[in-house]
Amino acid sequence: MNLMVNGESLEHNGDGSVGVLLAELGAAPDHSALTVNGDLVFSKNWKTHTLNDGDTVEVLTFVGGG
Amino acid sequence: MKLETGNLKLGSHEFGSRLILGTGKFSNTETMIRAIEASGTELVTVALRRFNREKPDDDLCAPLAKLKNVTLMPNTSGAMNAKEAVRAAQLGRELSGSPFVKVEIHPNPHHLMPDAIETYIAAKELAADGFIVLPYIPADPVLAKKLEDVGCAAVMPLGAAIGSGGGLSTADMIQLIIRDSNIPVIVDAGLRAPSEAARAMEMGCDACLVNSAIAAATDPAAMAKAFALGVETGFAARNAGLMPKSEVAVASSPLTSFLG
Repeated sequence: MNLMVNGESLEHNGDGSVGVLLAELGAAPDHSALTVNGDLVFSKNWKTHTLNDGDTVEVLTFVGGG
Repeated sequence: MKLETGNLKLGSHEFGSRLILGTGKFSNTETMIRAIEASGTELVTVALRRFNREKPDDDLCAPLAKLKNVTLMPNTSGAMNAKEAVRAAQLGRELSGSPFVKVEIHPNPHHLMPDAIETYIAAKELAADGFIVLPYIPADPVLAKKLEDVGCAAVMPLGAAIGSGGGLSTADMIQLIIRDSNIPVIVDAGLRAPSEAARAMEMGCDACLVNSAIAAATDPAAMAKAFALGVETGFAARNAGLMPKSEVAVASSPLTSFLG
């Protein structure tokens, strides 16, 4: 399926699970927060949340800031 | 003037250090960690950004998690309005597990002045949602009081523009905020020298938030320590009670009975 991830088109080869997508990106699950189509998806719900073709996903983490 | 002693109280939390550090602009993560450790701070700000697969080392979660006795305070930088700030705060809480949020909404990249209206709207919503809210604000006593009324844990007026090193250019207005405030007042942005942090504390501020002055110093860890001393000195001096000013000289030695 095709996803828009952090502003870039990505062909996702997994089953739509969040865990597989994060592994594809190389993002550590416990260092990541997620929105799908603008809505926050809590990490406790990642196992049951299924990504769909055309979803817009934002994967966020902490960086330096004042 | 308030005469607070002991720990800095923010919501239900207490901190022994009255210096809060920002984590931006450091040349590398190791330098940032050394500065945090040298400062003795117990509260640091972080920003939320897209994960960058090209720069995985930008992720600060792992190095910050190794620090003991340091609480994270995600900021909402990048938010252009209250709605975006609320969403950023929720993401920050999800990622950090921390109830603290620095509400920061500055839509104009030229001056980075906080949007008072959007900040108020976001702070009110987040406080009602259980966050410990510390809004970054213009040095406006009316706004500060309104933010106290909606449940903010502190207010953080700017001393000068972010990253400018302009010092305490808003000192008179901050003094007015302190006079009326029942919540901590924390100077955020503008400080360049530890002496300015000491002056802010002498004025009655409860803490200082410093980032650029430390990150951009030749030796960030040494400057972090210097700011910690500045904050501590100013706080101690304030609690010791500064002598009143006099418009005329007042002799320190007796002026009579000199050599008979």
